[in-house]
Amino acid sequence: MARIKLPMPAPFEELIERHGRELMRYLVRATGDREDAADLFQETFVRAYRAYPRLDPSRDARVWLYAIATNLCRNRARATARRAAVFAATPDGAGGSTPAETLAQRTRADATGPKLDLRRLVARLPDKQRRALLMRYFGGLEYAEIADALDCSEQSARANVSQAMKKLRAAW
Amino acid sequence: MTVTIDAPDDRGLKKLIAALDDEVSPDALEALWRQSVRRLSGTLERLGRPRAAVGVADSPLGRLMVARSERGVAMVAYVEEQSAVALALARLRRAFDPVEDADAASEIAGEIRRYLEGDPHALRHDVDLSLAGDCFARRVLSTLKALPRGALISYRALCAAAGAAHSARAVGGAMHRNPVPVYVPCHRVIAADGGLGGYSGGMARKLMLLRSEGFAIDQAGAAARLGGPIVWGHRQSGIYCRKNCRAALRADRARLLFFADARAAEQAGMRPCKLCRPA
Repeated sequence: MARIKLPMPAPFEELIERHGRELMRYLVRATGDREDAADLFQETFVRAYRAYPRLDPSRDARVWLYAIATNLCRNRARATARRAAVFAATPDGAGGSTPAETLAQRTRADATGPKLDLRRLVARLPDKQRRALLMRYFGGLEYAEIADALDCSEQSARANVSQAMKKLRAAW
Repeated sequence: MTVTIDAPDDRGLKKLIAALDDEVSPDALEALWRQSVRRLSGTLERLGRPRAAVGVADSPLGRLMVARSERGVAMVAYVEEQSAVALALARLRRAFDPVEDADAASEIAGEIRRYLEGDPHALRHDVDLSLAGDCFARRVLSTLKALPRGALISYRALCAAAGAAHSARAVGGAMHRNPVPVYVPCHRVIAADGGLGGYSGGMARKLMLLRSEGFAIDQAGAAARLGGPIVWGHRQSGIYCRKNCRAALRADRARLLFFADARAAEQAGMRPCKLCRPA
């Protein structure tokens, strides 16, 4: 009888140890807010843990984590936009939000110039272009990796990034 | 440091994003990371899957992949080829985080081997039915596990005993998906007419298991049937009879168990019928 191998998956803790710092840096870059990044970090890895048993062992776990994190950024971007609207609508600016949120809002409002605009513009891109751009420029992923994360061809990944750039240029 | 770019081209964007890294110092980032990992560990401990020790071992029933959790044996899978291992591992991972443990595997395989050699007390481990599917399957399998040693039961009677009188098909399904064969003796479920029924591990294994429990099998292959003098035990009255005793034939079939001999019936706490005197 042929020898049988047990194809054991890496323990999930190993994924956190190997890729966690990189993901954290990515989320801080993408959100510009430490609290948001920390929350997204939790959500990303909890979701990843739940889905881990179904992850095809041939897939790159690091790229898979980037895909999950990037997807979750979108929900956060929308929530932030809603909070900003509340903040702007109330006269004294403090009603309707917690002290932490108020501080976060103020921090963001104080940030001047191209950095803040960039994140806002990226958040407004169509979803696939947003994800491709984030992974390419904020995450530094290769086009082949982006294609894996987006479940599309490398050509399509490149196209999405270049279309995103075009939109940024137009809105700049 | 403010960075201005005229237009977001490739180089300008890279410059801009590099500047974003200045927003949070490396020390602050490291601190944020450590804090997040601590928080994450707490969360995963709360909602994480329990661990299971898993390994592959040989046995008289062929190659097995076995897994053991804190609660007991969680999986016994017949894995002749590599593809079967991948499937079994995927099934295990639905409820457990696996850790490789060759010692645990050989312990369990050892118990199974001694059981097949005829030691009725060889299976010392408890079972963990987390992989059984739903409540109903767990109830059927627990009922089966609680049967007295050496007792066979018909699908119909098992149905009734599990409180599911009209769900023979569902009971069959629960048998088929039994994650812990041998420990939960689905090999001891037969057809009411003495035919041997099926076995998801293949009939050869079922026959091996039945023979090791003292049952004689007439004819091999598709027409295999239980041979020899079988003893019928009635669960409610606690009385055992020869096959076809008048009293036994009148009894409720849903409550019958089958034993290889009188001794097995006595060991299960039954007493001999005064009419047919099977002892």
